[in-house]
Amino acid sequence: MRDVLVVGIGMSGLTAALRCQEAGLSVTLLAKGVGSTHLAPGTIDVLGYGPDLVESPSQALPRFIDGSPEHPYARIGVDALSRSLEWFGERFDAYRYTGAVDENLLLPTAIGSIKPSALVPESLSAGDLRNGGRFLIVGLRQLKDFFPALVAQNIANAKTPSGAGISARAVQIEPPTNGEPDLSSLAFARRFDEPEFLDAVAKQIGAHLDGDESVGLPAVLGVQHPHEVWTGLQDALGRPVFEIPSLPPSVPGMRLYEILRAQFEAGGGRVVVGAEAVGADTDGDRVTAVRVAAAARIKPYPAGHFVLATGGFGSGAIEMGANWSVREKVFNLPVAGVPEDGNERFGPRYFDAHPLSRAGIRVDDSLRPLDDNGNRVYANVTVVGACLAGSEAWREKSGEGISLSSGYKAAETIVEEQT
Amino acid sequence: MKNVQTEVLVIGGGATGSGVAWDAAARGFETILVERKDLAEGTTGRFHGLLHSGGRYAVKDRLAAEECIHENRILRRVASDAIEDTGGYFVTTPWDDPAFGDKFLEGCRACEIPVEEISPSQAFQDEPRINRGISRVFTVPDAAIDGWKLVWDCAKATTEHGGRVFTYHQVLGILRAGDVVRGAKVRNELSGEEFEIHADFTINATGAWAGKIADMAGCPGVQVLAGKGIMIAMNHRLVNTVINRCTMPADGDILVPIRTVSVIGTTDIRIKDPDEPDVTQDEVDRMLDDGEKLVPGFRKARALRVWAGVRPLFKDARAAETTDTRDVSRSHALLDHRDRDGVAGFLTITGGKLTTFRMMAEETVDMMCEQLGAQRACRTSADPLPSSKTGKFMWLGERLKEREATMHEDQLICECELIQRSSLERVMTQRSSTILDDIRRALRLGMGPCQGGFCMYRATGILHDVERMDSWAANRSLRDFLQERWKGVQPILYGDQLRQARLDDWIFQGVLDVEHLPTDQLDDHPASDRA
Repeated sequence: MRDVLVVGIGMSGLTAALRCQEAGLSVTLLAKGVGSTHLAPGTIDVLGYGPDLVESPSQALPRFIDGSPEHPYARIGVDALSRSLEWFGERFDAYRYTGAVDENLLLPTAIGSIKPSALVPESLSAGDLRNGGRFLIVGLRQLKDFFPALVAQNIANAKTPSGAGISARAVQIEPPTNGEPDLSSLAFARRFDEPEFLDAVAKQIGAHLDGDESVGLPAVLGVQHPHEVWTGLQDALGRPVFEIPSLPPSVPGMRLYEILRAQFEAGGGRVVVGAEAVGADTDGDRVTAVRVAAAARIKPYPAGHFVLATGGFGSGAIEMGANWSVREKVFNLPVAGVPEDGNERFGPRYFDAHPLSRAGIRVDDSLRPLDDNGNRVYANVTVVGACLAGSEAWREKSGEGISLSSGYKAAETIVEEQT
Repeated sequence: MKNVQTEVLVIGGGATGSGVAWDAAARGFETILVERKDLAEGTTGRFHGLLHSGGRYAVKDRLAAEECIHENRILRRVASDAIEDTGGYFVTTPWDDPAFGDKFLEGCRACEIPVEEISPSQAFQDEPRINRGISRVFTVPDAAIDGWKLVWDCAKATTEHGGRVFTYHQVLGILRAGDVVRGAKVRNELSGEEFEIHADFTINATGAWAGKIADMAGCPGVQVLAGKGIMIAMNHRLVNTVINRCTMPADGDILVPIRTVSVIGTTDIRIKDPDEPDVTQDEVDRMLDDGEKLVPGFRKARALRVWAGVRPLFKDARAAETTDTRDVSRSHALLDHRDRDGVAGFLTITGGKLTTFRMMAEETVDMMCEQLGAQRACRTSADPLPSSKTGKFMWLGERLKEREATMHEDQLICECELIQRSSLERVMTQRSSTILDDIRRALRLGMGPCQGGFCMYRATGILHDVERMDSWAANRSLRDFLQERWKGVQPILYGDQLRQARLDDWIFQGVLDVEHLPTDQLDDHPASDRA
């Protein structure tokens, strides 16, 4: 029997699986499909707004946790969070992440907002707007998910905390695509992996360069060899180049997924994607197996420990049915924070906080699930990532930070108990 | 803008007003139509999309039924481009009295509505999702009609006949010279500019808001009850035929397949302020339960959006107070203010239903002609609207066909509704609107399962390019759209649609960080405070 079964292959699941594996445990990663990595921009956002702009997550977090005692970070703790970020930063060789928990970078989004992120892929880092600068934003005509003029105008109007000025202009180029008018970000990324295509793009951009501008492009600079593509373009243009993530599917997220998954498999881990966990077998306060729907039958996956990394409402891991009842679909764990019937689940204004948003699985400091009375539901289950109650990750810009640190912490809990 | 001169001023850009403008312009009157928001943004854009055969009224109100079938026949000819010829069923569910079917047949025949009883098993073959407990099925010539398409085509006809259409123009006051109405003072809600429209004749076609305009003209006491009806659009065409319960008209008894969705409706609750129709959880639940009776499993389909429309129901001052607005006359009221109030050059047309909009317009313009002493024959029952000249009905596969023909030349911007970049750019240029919600209504942009999750970012970028907007305005436009959308989705977020909403949050807030876009001073006011 395997030591650990991790259900879900987003950031939190991959992290928990890798950490358990590093500790010498046998781990299987089971997932219905690819996870949050393919949707998220590939950055590790730890805390961007709390609710004001956060310049240093490590400085802001103690106070933030005091003010939000139900937040996942209050369970995980700043210490485990910091260690998880260090661990993560050291995982990469060719294609690296830069940054730390001490300070947020401010990166442009694909609409030209500036978003705080703690750790970012190297190919995004030159987009840091904290110290102002001069930027040329380049669009690719055949990519409908990026609008350079809107990005340039918005970042030029942005207020940096230091007051440093930003100047930006936009240009649209039309790389050779054999007449294909509508290429996805992934299709572009695959073309960028080809040296001839990269050369052609570099030539076109070269014709528009002026002064010492840094060059920003949509985040499609290669998926197989992102480090080579990025450095190749920087060399060709003789200046910093950076990527700006846009709508899903996220190329930076796919790179991250591929790298982490390959590391896990190289370490002997087993990955089963396309298998939906639909229930569990239990014995007293322990789960003995997760039931998986595959090939028209239900198959049990027994293990010593289980990590629930299936995501929240967004992935379908927690579901609100047509009769408004809420259910966690693998272990049927109690879902905390759901407004009582008759109370409002959402407020009237879109950008406000909404009561249902913080609903999720409540856990103790070891990330064991709790029931309404605060008692542990299962002794060998940990809950990580977007399943956790208490955050509004997309508003706080904290999603990957919570996922990474909770995956890391869950592994600590398991390893401690195992040894 | 300087003051403007015209022969006819029509106030109200719903079906009624647009129909009046079309009719007047086609008769050769110089015509201006003013609307305080976008065309068909009120009641006309918030109905279920049913072109009545008259069957619904065949037992209860034969006059209304006769009007419906008469107009149904004409509109199939002159407005074919806005109509999908779905046909309709009246079905006896286990909750309905089978004997009502006999009265229904008799009523339809008396009103000359083509009706036929078919076996339930034949109906189940054509509509396999409907309730197997249905015991009787009658076919009638109901159809689906796209209110936005219809109204925009009326506006197009108006301009082709030399008329002008001013959207986002709010009427500030009615101009009078003694006992004669001489037009209106208006404000351009987008530029803030105010000016006067001088007209020989003014027609108030403002539906549930008609009392307010009549008051401005010094014609008090025009009471229009606002009857709120909620509707829910479900993902997919759960049926391809309009399904009605064969019973006296009640709540939640109509299911209309229109374009890519099916719409369940409706309720009827009297409300005080037609500008504030809210949707309650209770109403949503009742509507979903009613849908379940027609199509078992209805609740498990994805509810995309809910909205409330406001029926204008003219109230006879002599009738007793009533709270169930369905019992108030549903047929229209044409008020001759010369007789009623001693005010000439001014008519009010209100009430009625979308199916009879053309006839209401004809009657109104006839009365105007009479008062102006200029007899000119109505053209609207003979001359098709500009987009309907071929006489072809709207067809669900149209966009797919167009997409297949141009997929190697054009980008697909809205995957749900198959909207290509060239169509989007064309409409943005034609409408010259910087409001994404207007573009949504014009093309159904963002009206599919993802509710704009993917296409609205793209549309914002394209709008910014096409309209040469500054980025402040583009940001506002997107944020206003997201707020407007939220009103229609948050009451029905459950199941997969809640999941979808979370993905959309992820895109707009997690990836794009729309809420922290730079703002200028205009943004200090919430969207709802602006025009």
